[in-house]
Amino acid sequence: MGNLIWKELINEWRSREMVVSMFIFGLAVTLVFAFAFNVSPVLFRQFAPGLLWVVILFTSVLGLNRLFSYEGDMDAHWSWISAPIDRGLVFLSKLLVGFIFLSMAELLFIVPFFLFLNLDVSFSILFFLGILILGNSAIISIGCLISGLALRANMREVLIPVLLFPLASPVVIAATKSTVFIFENKPFGEWRIWILILFTFLLTSALLGYLFYDQIVEE
Amino acid sequence: MSFLALRVNKIHFLLAAFLSGINIFLILTIAPQNQLQPDFGNIFYIHVPVAWTAFIGYLLVMIFSILFLWKQGQTWDHFALASAEAGTMFMFLVLITGPIWAKPAWGHFWVWEPRLTTSLVLFLIFLGYFMLREFGGNPEQVSRYAAVLGIIAFLDVPLIFLSVKLWLPELQSHPQVGQYFENTGIMPVLMINYSFLSLLVVISFMIRFRVHNLKKRETHNII
Repeated sequence: MGNLIWKELINEWRSREMVVSMFIFGLAVTLVFAFAFNVSPVLFRQFAPGLLWVVILFTSVLGLNRLFSYEGDMDAHWSWISAPIDRGLVFLSKLLVGFIFLSMAELLFIVPFFLFLNLDVSFSILFFLGILILGNSAIISIGCLISGLALRANMREVLIPVLLFPLASPVVIAATKSTVFIFENKPFGEWRIWILILFTFLLTSALLGYLFYDQIVEE
Repeated sequence: MSFLALRVNKIHFLLAAFLSGINIFLILTIAPQNQLQPDFGNIFYIHVPVAWTAFIGYLLVMIFSILFLWKQGQTWDHFALASAEAGTMFMFLVLITGPIWAKPAWGHFWVWEPRLTTSLVLFLIFLGYFMLREFGGNPEQVSRYAAVLGIIAFLDVPLIFLSVKLWLPELQSHPQVGQYFENTGIMPVLMINYSFLSLLVVISFMIRFRVHNLKKRETHNII
């Protein structure tokens, strides 16, 4: 699995196309939001968590499209299938790499997000990073599973968001709600349930992906 | 050849039309009304059984999908697709009857009521399911992809429902349904409606299953 992750990281390091394009896309969407919602900073603070997770969800679609297309372009799925490894590990490596790339792009566009929308950072950074990590991994885990399903589809670019958005709706709701509570500096006990939902979603989709990946990639 | 030219289709169609007629007659005449929701509230007798049947349709998709992945028989795949189609048709009816009931009861067509919202999300997922079936690649692989998606979609339901329910805690989940079940007199009519609608879903399931089988036979003949 280490080799698989290393391969993806090397690929990205050479091209730098995924993280850079995700970052630029995230920045562009942030800019559109700043123009579209021209309201006072106080009001914006109420919208900001939702907007942030919309940007993250949109950005993740871009990454997911690319994450599986390297092998698709060269029809290199054969290498995976013929390799003497557990195919579930291929899924887990894609999940980890997708998570790393999304988090990297996010770290880059989150600063402009706060700057452009005039949001002050008067909340626990630790909690905020925690929810970003959890939310990203949950989105990417279901996203990797869907990208695997849409791997050979004629309309892959359309199918991924069409399937991802409704399936990931619990993640978006839970992550947005948690971020609202973090922004309002509410005690953890009040929003623990949302973290539980995110964890359950992450574990279920990662487990399903691990179990079914064998069936998905089979020729 | 037209759809009704076949004898079996004609029988199915007449049976469905006859049962629907009885169903509407019972709701308009015998079914007890709720004091707080006269007349318009009787859509309850359609909405609730339709919703249950739709969810049963989707549950069957999951069961047949598991069986398909396990036993690898094409018939299980056709069963799953037919259930998905019947379930989606009923889910569409849920999304039509729900807002019709919500407008006079709550004043708005759509209030993000948890069960209705879950139905909408599930409906959207299954529209994606049909897109995947249509554009997913070669037919054998698509059957496997669809089976996996059918399983994921149903397992996602509890989480969608829980998160939507907690998302707007001030919104009660269907207060009308609770009020109706306080009246034990509703049960006979409701049970008859349940049986009729279940029969309708079985009929739609059988028709779609036959269509898929015929399509498969046609493809084999061409090859």
